Amino acid sequence: MKRIMLAAVAVTMMLSGIAVSSADGGTLVIATTQKPRHLNPAVQSGIATAVPGTQIFATPVRFDENWNPQPYLAESWAFSDDGLALTLNLRKGATFHDGHPITSKDVAFSIETIKANHPFKTMFGPVEAVDTPDDHPAVLRLSAPHPALLLALSSALGVIIPEHIYGDGQDPKAHPRNSDTVGSGPFKLAEFKPGEHIILEKNENFFLEGYPKLDRIIIKNYKDVTSMVLAMDSGEVDMLPFLAGTRDIARLRKNASIEVTDQGYAAVGPLNWLAFNTKHEIFKDVRVRRAIAYAIDRDFIVNALHGGFSTAATGPVHPGSPFFAPDVESYDLDLAKAAALLDEAGYPAGSDGVRFSVELDYLPAFAEQQKNVAEYLRPQLKKVGIAVQLRASPDFPSWAKRVSSHEFELTMDIVFNWGDPVIGVHRTYVCSNIRQGVIWSNTQSYCNEEVDALLDAAGKEIDQAKRQTLYRQAQQIIVDEVPLAFLNTLPYHTAYNKNKIGNPPLSIWGAMAPLDKVTVQ
Amino acid sequence: MAAVESVTRSQSARRPGADAWEIYRQSPTAMLGLVLVLLISVLAIIGPLVYPVDPFEIIWAPMSAPGTTERALLGTDYLGRDILAGLLVGAKATLIVGLTAAALTVIIGLVIGALAGFYLGMIDEILMRVTEFFQVLPPLLFAMVLVTMLSPSLWVVAVSIGVVSWPPTARLARAEFLRIRNLEYVTASRASGVRQGYIIWRVILPNALPPLIVSATLTIGTAILFEAGLSFLGLSDPNVMSWGLMIGSGREYMLDAWWIVTLPGVMIFFAVLGVSLVGDGLNDAFNPKLRRR
Repeated sequence: MKRIMLAAVAVTMMLSGIAVSSADGGTLVIATTQKPRHLNPAVQSGIATAVPGTQIFATPVRFDENWNPQPYLAESWAFSDDGLALTLNLRKGATFHDGHPITSKDVAFSIETIKANHPFKTMFGPVEAVDTPDDHPAVLRLSAPHPALLLALSSALGVIIPEHIYGDGQDPKAHPRNSDTVGSGPFKLAEFKPGEHIILEKNENFFLEGYPKLDRIIIKNYKDVTSMVLAMDSGEVDMLPFLAGTRDIARLRKNASIEVTDQGYAAVGPLNWLAFNTKHEIFKDVRVRRAIAYAIDRDFIVNALHGGFSTAATGPVHPGSPFFAPDVESYDLDLAKAAALLDEAGYPAGSDGVRFSVELDYLPAFAEQQKNVAEYLRPQLKKVGIAVQLRASPDFPSWAKRVSSHEFELTMDIVFNWGDPVIGVHRTYVCSNIRQGVIWSNTQSYCNEEVDALLDAAGKEIDQAKRQTLYRQAQQIIVDEVPLAFLNTLPYHTAYNKNKIGNPPLSIWGAMAPLDKVTVQ
Repeated sequence: MAAVESVTRSQSARRPGADAWEIYRQSPTAMLGLVLVLLISVLAIIGPLVYPVDPFEIIWAPMSAPGTTERALLGTDYLGRDILAGLLVGAKATLIVGLTAAALTVIIGLVIGALAGFYLGMIDEILMRVTEFFQVLPPLLFAMVLVTMLSPSLWVVAVSIGVVSWPPTARLARAEFLRIRNLEYVTASRASGVRQGYIIWRVILPNALPPLIVSATLTIGTAILFEAGLSFLGLSDPNVMSWGLMIGSGREYMLDAWWIVTLPGVMIFFAVLGVSLVGDGLNDAFNPKLRRR
């Protein structure tokens, strides 16, 4: 017996649930400041490539706003009973933009390419082989059950690229067709002018009948956020995703024809946190780390610094994820407790009230999330006798070098969950990911075998409820041992012209999902 | 030796320094500049003593307008830090950067200019080519590169500004040395067998100083602006409150809270204006003939 997750019903539901606007055609203009290096998400992570990339390249499945997988390039799929094989039944008659049919060979090639070249190694880590018994079923053979697999096969991550184009032996990361793409998504590339715009045209032969609704998508590059927000405010562009500045959000909120929503960022799961170098003399003591967590007023950060647009983060998993555990130590502001913990740890206040001095790094970007919070921490931690010196980095590479080579004491950081904890959460905590020179690895050098075992088990557990329990236990230990002081979620918002746009992209991947259903008037 | 002493003395006596103050005093703009500079120096020195509030401390709700709370007379910035305290403490950093950069400019410029102008020949060729090399680099860009390579701290910023601003001073010093080295009293010193070092530093230099002082004064103003410019680009010491830092980190809030950037901006305006007026006044005082023309 196979546990079958047939989703034919879901297809019809999906197709019928659209009817906000029946008007086909039109052009959608999306504003961004992100500059993609190329447009092939198979070998490049990040928002810049993912937004155009998911329009150009289809994935086997996609997700709705409630974390349910929906058929996309695969019309159905089934896990074997032992969870060690996933059969994808590809849609028959689906073709790439150049007319070549999409077969299971392309799926096998794509997964091998992603596994070998994409920075997120855990996505297809357990995939040992992809069998292609016929043109349409592809069977992924796993070394261990891998519940994150469907998410890894969804928008922004598991794109299917044509073997006859990208399988010519050239280095996939530097392939010339990465900027002159051939995919199978709802839109095909018409023009890519780096730093100016990306023009996507409707794919007339898209495998979903009647889609996409739009004729054209223009992704327009702006030099800076201010001019981009002004363009949105004046109606020059129709949609502005990944807006994180709280004053920009507030400004666009005032515009009666613009809707600003925080929906569509559950999968990205962006967290703003304060990381400890747990190998450092002072911060290897968990009491010091707890003391700092107790000394930070997250209410102030969320409400006073971020105008109430961000939310407090309490643990490693974003509150929008089904694996978020609310029942962890919340570290509510308690300066007395913080002082007591520091005393206990052997750091009594000196005659000048100072217990010790530390250096605090921060990302030279997202000033409101990073620099401003760092500036807030300086007087705040002074209240418990910790003298904080800010260490500014002139540019991203200098910061990344300091942090990835573990030459820091404290640093602010922003890290994304990327859908499943296996992809974006494990990397920060497992002992095996303490790697020199790799940014957004376990740069805290945090290592707890119990956490490792729990995360490892959770990463292989097929049963959703059991998986949630394992992640809850792991989160409780992690939050208790505070390798990071969790501060807030990034207040990502999407602004769109509500008089013009129907079916804005609000699924878990937001604008990093196919915009085939979006309409304009 | 006594002959030389008397030669230089008599030259010193003829220096315009004696009646320079008289001339300076008569210029209202020069006096205004002096008053501004003195006021800012006083603010920098005793301001923080009279008003001992930590400029990094969060004392009130963020972005409170001036006059809305007694806790912060000039309002608070985007974190809720006292703007007044920032202005007072920031004056010191701003002056330190200005003075250090100006001093460095004069020292480097003077040494290079003096050696080139006195020895001429190969030394002049080499030193002037080096100077030209520095002169063709856009100063702000060059300073940015220096600050980026080293870490952004107050001293690095000050030294970087000095390092990029000396070429004009060097050329000025060289020109003065070229002019003076052939004057009769220098020839006289040389004829009486005085050491070269003595001629450079004790005979020529005092007579070459007035234009250099003027140029140094003006450099202070430029350096203050430079510091503000670097801060605006995010290249300043986040641990030292300066007016540039206040503007640089507050610029994003300009539309919501004008006072965060406007008040330090006004302070920079007055500081640079004051220093420039003093420089102009000194120029007139040292070159009375030029002024009458």
